[in-house]
Amino acid sequence: MYWIFFILKRLGALIVSLWIVSLITFVVTRLIGNPIYLILGPRYTEEQFQAAVMRLGLDKPMWQQYYEYLNNLLVGDLGISRYTSLSVTSELFNRAPATMELATFSLLLGIVWAVPAGVVAGKNPQGKFSWFADMISRAGVAMPSFWLSLLLVFIFFAKLQWLPPPLGRIDSSFHDLPSVTGWMTIDTLLAGKLDAFFSALSHLIMPVFALAITTCPSIFQITRARTTEIMSSDYIRSAHAFGLSSKTIQIYVLRNMLAPVLTMITMTYGFLISGTVLVEVVFTWPGLGLYAVKAMNHSDYEPVLGVVLFATSFYLLIYMFADIVNAIIDPRARLSS
Amino acid sequence: MTEYFEISSRLNILQRIIFRHGSISVYSTFGILIAIILLGMLAPILPLQDPIKPNLLSKLSPPSLEHFFGTDHNGMDVFSRTIFAIRTDFTLALSSVVLGVLIGVPLGAISGYLGGWIDSTLTRISEVIQGFPQILFGMAFIAATSNSLWNVVLVVAFYNIPVYSKMVRSIVVPLKEIDYVLAAKVAGNKSPRIIFFHILPNALTPVFAQLPLSCAYAVQMIAGLSFLGLGVPIPMPEWGSMIQAGANYMVFGKWWLSIFPGLALFVSVWLLNMCSRMLQSLWERRE
Repeated sequence: MYWIFFILKRLGALIVSLWIVSLITFVVTRLIGNPIYLILGPRYTEEQFQAAVMRLGLDKPMWQQYYEYLNNLLVGDLGISRYTSLSVTSELFNRAPATMELATFSLLLGIVWAVPAGVVAGKNPQGKFSWFADMISRAGVAMPSFWLSLLLVFIFFAKLQWLPPPLGRIDSSFHDLPSVTGWMTIDTLLAGKLDAFFSALSHLIMPVFALAITTCPSIFQITRARTTEIMSSDYIRSAHAFGLSSKTIQIYVLRNMLAPVLTMITMTYGFLISGTVLVEVVFTWPGLGLYAVKAMNHSDYEPVLGVVLFATSFYLLIYMFADIVNAIIDPRARLSS
Repeated sequence: MTEYFEISSRLNILQRIIFRHGSISVYSTFGILIAIILLGMLAPILPLQDPIKPNLLSKLSPPSLEHFFGTDHNGMDVFSRTIFAIRTDFTLALSSVVLGVLIGVPLGAISGYLGGWIDSTLTRISEVIQGFPQILFGMAFIAATSNSLWNVVLVVAFYNIPVYSKMVRSIVVPLKEIDYVLAAKVAGNKSPRIIFFHILPNALTPVFAQLPLSCAYAVQMIAGLSFLGLGVPIPMPEWGSMIQAGANYMVFGKWWLSIFPGLALFVSVWLLNMCSRMLQSLWERRE
């Protein structure tokens, strides 16, 4: 019973947040800006202008415009891309797996280096390893992801020729793959083509590395800080004093560290869905970000807004999920809410 | 007069902390950062080549004594462009952060002091804004308005508002019930006076410590937007758009177009981050 209330409360908060999102995007596009100039371009006649105003319904009162806008959002209608003349919603769902694949692998690589490094560094915060890992994480934060991507392309493609060119998700010779999940690495395995799988994997290496380095340092920092804090806490000192084995103490430390680290991981994931955009541009990765950028270059407005709404909703959803998981792991988090 | 005195004495404390607890790394971080800013400020009077003068005879020439960082596809000198870009990036970043502070700090103070539904509404809105995808929302905003420098500043400032309003709010809330504030209230001071002259000076140091970090994020976001061709108009020297210009040549092994501006961006953001971290730890040590 308690949990039902808890989850309902979180869902209510999510709905309010999503409503605020719709309000902000509406204000920005209709009140501050005006989509009409983007559609018409620099030169237009008075009749064209009036026709466009009528077609977009911009002559109606604001509240009615917002009502229609919200209605369209609720049925999942994000408009039609003027450039490809396809529904934005269906395009988003076609392209989301590419971004998801990139974001998920980046997050996994990030966790694999950041969490163990954070634990080891946190146990001995003054040590050489801690200093070294800290430097790497700081460099990762300061480095622009697109620049690191270009650097990797220069080294591993242009100079060494070890990795494939930054053109999409898989070698162009494997174009007849059936799309089941939209994840290249899974689809190729389902089709039983190992060479295609390795091609997909080699295309993933550079963008995943660039993203893992630039977006996951926060996971390292929080892991290290928490470990240091827990290691110097009274109960760990007592555990040492009671002569518990270091293995048992290790489990205590990890369990207490879990909640904040997990929150940070889920938030990083929510951020990655949109944070891939610059890297997608460098690697012509056919995901959400590249879709928005291409639409933007063709003065196409709806896709950009669609991606913004999608990414924000995903972030908020993930944020709620992190909250719930946090409450399950850590009873203290339940009390504060 | 007393208020002025209070604020200036706090600034002095900050300075004193820096000089007393300064180590080599603190000095070098601040020193290099100031050197970079000076370099940007003095760029027009330094003997540099014209950053926006194309030279079709020496296109894409590699780094040499004549062109330290080589030339780009228009034959413009990459070294001089990288230096001039300091002006563009730092000015845009600083103005957007200052704008964010000017709106965010009073908003956070009011939200924290008044409490109630105003507080919870503002808090919820800041949470949502922080969930917006930065680059994509910047794209949407610039698409809906127009591609101008002012709009870039606006959208970056938009992200800074919740950062400062949240921070100030967290400082104001516990101070609301503290004795000297209650005394000020009993003495008949009006709410705005209590907020701005009695409570807000306490937020000055943490806000100062946050400033370089916000500037670092702002520089990154501005560079990211111009990497996508938004914001800064083309011939203007800016790191992000310079990296973009060199991106296609990277595959052919012409590295100097993108590497140098990226390096400048990297170093600046690194130093700003370090600077913020040091100010924060110095502030915490004082606490």
